Amino acid sequence: MPEDLNQKISQFLDNELDHDEALTLLQKMQLQSELQDKLIRYEAISHAMKTDVFLLTKSDFSTKIRQQIQKEPVYLLPQHKPFKRSHKQIAAAASIAIIAVIAGRSLYGTDQHSKVASIVQVAQHQLSEQSSKPVVYENQAAQYPLNKRINDYLQAHNSSVYTNGEANFQPLARVTAYSHK
Amino acid sequence: MTVVKRFYVVLLLSIGVASAREPGLNAQQVLVKMNHAMEVLNYQGTVAFLKNGKLEPMKYVHAAEKGIQQERLLSLNSPLREIIRNGGQISCLFKETQQTIVDHRPFERSFLVDVPRNLDDMGAIYQFEIVGEENIAMLPSYVVAIQPKDYARYPRKIWVEKQQFLPLKVVVYDNSGVPLEQVVFTEIEVKDALPFVDVKFLDAAHPVQHIHQSQPQSSDQAAFVVTALPKGFREVFFIRKPMHNTEQPVDHLLLSDGFTTVSIYMENKSAAIQSGLQSVGAVNSYSRTINNYQLTVMGEVPAETVKFIAEGIKLRDLKD
Repeated sequence: MPEDLNQKISQFLDNELDHDEALTLLQKMQLQSELQDKLIRYEAISHAMKTDVFLLTKSDFSTKIRQQIQKEPVYLLPQHKPFKRSHKQIAAAASIAIIAVIAGRSLYGTDQHSKVASIVQVAQHQLSEQSSKPVVYENQAAQYPLNKRINDYLQAHNSSVYTNGEANFQPLARVTAYSHK
Repeated sequence: MTVVKRFYVVLLLSIGVASAREPGLNAQQVLVKMNHAMEVLNYQGTVAFLKNGKLEPMKYVHAAEKGIQQERLLSLNSPLREIIRNGGQISCLFKETQQTIVDHRPFERSFLVDVPRNLDDMGAIYQFEIVGEENIAMLPSYVVAIQPKDYARYPRKIWVEKQQFLPLKVVVYDNSGVPLEQVVFTEIEVKDALPFVDVKFLDAAHPVQHIHQSQPQSSDQAAFVVTALPKGFREVFFIRKPMHNTEQPVDHLLLSDGFTTVSIYMENKSAAIQSGLQSVGAVNSYSRTINNYQLTVMGEVPAETVKFIAEGIKLRDLKD
């Protein structure tokens, strides 16, 4: 029901929704762009009524920012000091949160922390969903023991197995998963 | 002409004469001398092999007499073993397990480093340069850099002793300059003569395992066709023979650009080999399946190179 949703958006902006309802609303807004537009319009109206300052942002502002981020190339060059995965997630979540704040709530009062937190939660939820989809490189298998066949190949390939003490007759060669360069 | 002018004229002439003198050895000349020294000199010492993160110190002996050579390694740490190269045959005796392996490798010449005898053709793919002089095992040495002209293979440096021209240190680097493998003498001495030793095979209870015993065959018999290779790689040999202690034949094609070797293996598909890239020290391998066959490309080259070669391999009957 549109009126009901409109009401909830209004309550959301006035910080009158509880956590679960706010989260449900945000999830719906993720699926319906018209609801997102509505949120921005309501927020602009609310802000204009409460203050003398009004900044107009286009309805697709946050979408464009997100698209720009997604267009950023993924570099596979060696990283001498790579970020931990958790750091990357935190950084990505923080970026998305900042965008959300700028686009939707840039001029809103500081009493809206709970909603910002909800937005961040949704963002993090989406991020975790994305990260659960494996970025599969064919070589990024976890470490596993060098099997007998590969060891046979090594032995047939060159005589370094004799100097290494790593032929099929001795402890298997240590294998490291190839890290993309 | 004043005295000062005469002084400058003499100075300039002396500089000219100095620069017109026969220049020192270039990198290729040093490597040619090194190849010769490795073949004709009798020398022994302690050499450390640092590969795959593992240090393997060994006693090294090279005996040469009337064009015949013998290379011998004795491990200092477990697994204790003695490895003897007589011409194209390598015998490896494991002291603890009493196991003996005889390997036939006519295409290899040394455990230390194999440098092509003819370097004239190598200029298209490698750049040779003396990049400095350093002491190795307290012996002054030339530092010869062998820099590939593409990223399909690894750069390396060889430290060549200045008097006898023996290689004292060899380092293989990845393309970002990180050492992958090292061979370095900690002490070395040149002798007038060193004894040859006989390879002593053990009793029948410890049968000898032979590797590469069969004669090389024509690569036309291979089940696959290589359609893409980095510049300079040529076929060294092809063989189809059983592996893995089964009767199942495996096609093995060995390629080399002179410094770097790459092996291509093809056999019936098996779950025992995981597709994708693997790395063991400087050796990278890439496996994939083609119909009912398992293909593996392996070599001391960057991962991109083994993958590039593997991606260009087709089954012979599917070529067209």
